Amino acid sequence: MTTTHAETLSAPSRQAPASLGALARWLSAADHVRIGLSLTIGAALWLVIASAVGVVLGLERLDSSAALVDAGALTQLFSLHRFALVFGVAAPLMLGLSLWTLPTQLHASNISLPRLAAFGWWAWLAGSATVLVSYLFNGGPGGGAQQYVELYLLGLGIVFVGLIALAVVVATTVLTRRNGQRLASIPLGAFSALVGAIGVALTLPVAIGAIVYVWVDFVNARVAFGGAGFINTWLGWTTREPQTLIYVVPTLGILADAAVRTARITSARQPLRGVLLVGVGIAATVIMSSVTQQAHVFALGDTPFATLQSFVPYALFNLLPLLAPLVVIMLSLLALKAGKPSVSGALAASLFGVGMVFTGLVGSAAMHVDALGLVGTVFGEAALVYVVYGSVLAALGGVALHIGSLTGRPLPDVPVILLALTGFLATVLASLPHYVAGFMDQPANSTTGYSDAGVVGVANVAVALGHALMLVVVVAFVGLVAKSRRGTPVTDRYQAQAST
Amino acid sequence: MTAPALTAGPTRRTSTVFVGSAFVSGAVVMLMGGMLAIWLDFRANAPTRAAEGGGRLIKDWLKKDVAIPEVVSNTMMFTFVVTCLMAQWAVYAARRGDKSHATLALAITLFTGLALLNAQIALWVQMGIALRTDAYETMFYAITGTMFAIIASAMAYSFVAMFRVLAGRVNDVDVLAGHALYWYAVSGTFAAMWFIVYVQK
Repeated sequence: MTTTHAETLSAPSRQAPASLGALARWLSAADHVRIGLSLTIGAALWLVIASAVGVVLGLERLDSSAALVDAGALTQLFSLHRFALVFGVAAPLMLGLSLWTLPTQLHASNISLPRLAAFGWWAWLAGSATVLVSYLFNGGPGGGAQQYVELYLLGLGIVFVGLIALAVVVATTVLTRRNGQRLASIPLGAFSALVGAIGVALTLPVAIGAIVYVWVDFVNARVAFGGAGFINTWLGWTTREPQTLIYVVPTLGILADAAVRTARITSARQPLRGVLLVGVGIAATVIMSSVTQQAHVFALGDTPFATLQSFVPYALFNLLPLLAPLVVIMLSLLALKAGKPSVSGALAASLFGVGMVFTGLVGSAAMHVDALGLVGTVFGEAALVYVVYGSVLAALGGVALHIGSLTGRPLPDVPVILLALTGFLATVLASLPHYVAGFMDQPANSTTGYSDAGVVGVANVAVALGHALMLVVVVAFVGLVAKSRRGTPVTDRYQAQAST
Repeated sequence: MTAPALTAGPTRRTSTVFVGSAFVSGAVVMLMGGMLAIWLDFRANAPTRAAEGGGRLIKDWLKKDVAIPEVVSNTMMFTFVVTCLMAQWAVYAARRGDKSHATLALAITLFTGLALLNAQIALWVQMGIALRTDAYETMFYAITGTMFAIIASAMAYSFVAMFRVLAGRVNDVDVLAGHALYWYAVSGTFAAMWFIVYVQK
């Protein structure tokens, strides 16, 4: 009796609470679901920050003579917006979604190198948090506090290391866990994840090299790289088009797979599948454009040869990448024609998403035409928002496409379509008006130096509204996913179609 | 009479560690390639001025009184060749299940890595340049410091590989092949850096 009593008393003290156990499991997770979900949730949180900053900047631009934000903080706010959009949202969202869905796509049990994936996730989280802290304490490009500018560079370096680690995991998973499938036979989602991951793994190390130079110079002589105000001179290419296409290449695969499944045909019967693979592969040409770290502007020369000399590199680095989303959109529509399509939320979201990415890249190509005089205007900001919000829309499509096979609880089509339409509207509102304002010479990264009356004023209001609307879309989508998880498991339509 | 169908042989699974090492090697090559490109850009665009005697143009890049100890840098280059040979020997020994030779090869790889770090420090000490006066000094320390870190990372890989072999996993040839590949990549990037930074200056 005494012994039994002692055991009864000591039992609770030996067992950790269930919540602690769950937390420990999550912290030490090395499986594709938890790491992929963590990255996706992290990217969603950064999207909240990016949208909020977008709203603040939009409001700040309503009146070019008044100031909501301290003038000294504006440079950092613009820089934070770019960082949040690209390294807070687009890159981790695409890598996270790839990690989450790759084993399902390849019929594998888990990803390759799962502990490296866990390292990548924690590195990205720690690095992005460090960058955020540095911005809050007057660090970042143009920051006045030396320690926090150094902290920013450190954080950015850690973010890049984390993203490279994740990209290595994605690429290795696709190459080694195909279960005997030929590379040309794997789903387009996996193939595009491979192309994007190789791009990230090869381009971001170049940025790390630049960070090392800038950091050593900043800490010591400050004679070669120009100090805090010039950080973006050396690293700005990582958050500009066409480099951003590298981060969002997986959107192309999401659209292609959604089209095939919506059309109720198998991947093998996908029309012009070889061309589709080449189309996705074309996106890899951006690697060359990025690592040269130069903007290739097209300017009319004095002679036809001089014009041609300017046009060839411009076309190679700005027009060729356009083919990637264009080919995928066209052939996805062709796949729909070849099959028996039905209403699909995944297709609607991914089609809108890739369409927005394409529009952003067209804008970037236009910006590099010297005669249009768009360099240094808000046109470039709009192109970035198009690409990043486009990737978010495509990611919504990707979640809708795969969540059924991952959880057994697919999302209903109609709400996803409605959210995709609202997201499309939000993206257009957050970027198209700045395309117009760019032609009217509204300067980039500035809240002064333009007339806030007329079209430009309306454009800035619309942009602020667009960012706010995007925030609503993401929150609503998260709510939809949470609601669907409480429902009873049903057969996933996309899975059923894929198996037929 | 029809011949009996042949059964499929065992499928050989591609090593994840080897493929992962290949991607990390590519990343290291791009890291150093990017740094060397910026180095070349700065060197090409360094300001020029007329020599005191007139006539000749001088680039303000490497100061006249700074001498790069070529014995040390050349020794490092040759040490890399030895390191690669040892890394490959480890693969050769592992393929034959020869634990003692594989361990010895990895130990020598680790030791030559240590020698490389020592040589790099000796080179910095012998050059004795400051870090606060011009672009060359800043960039020299940045690029050689990065190379130092890359060598250290390769040594960490050697250490882990040796630990695994010592623990009995001598048949994991793909891990040792990935290890050798990484050392090849590091050696290749050093060769490029050696030529541009130490030979061409």
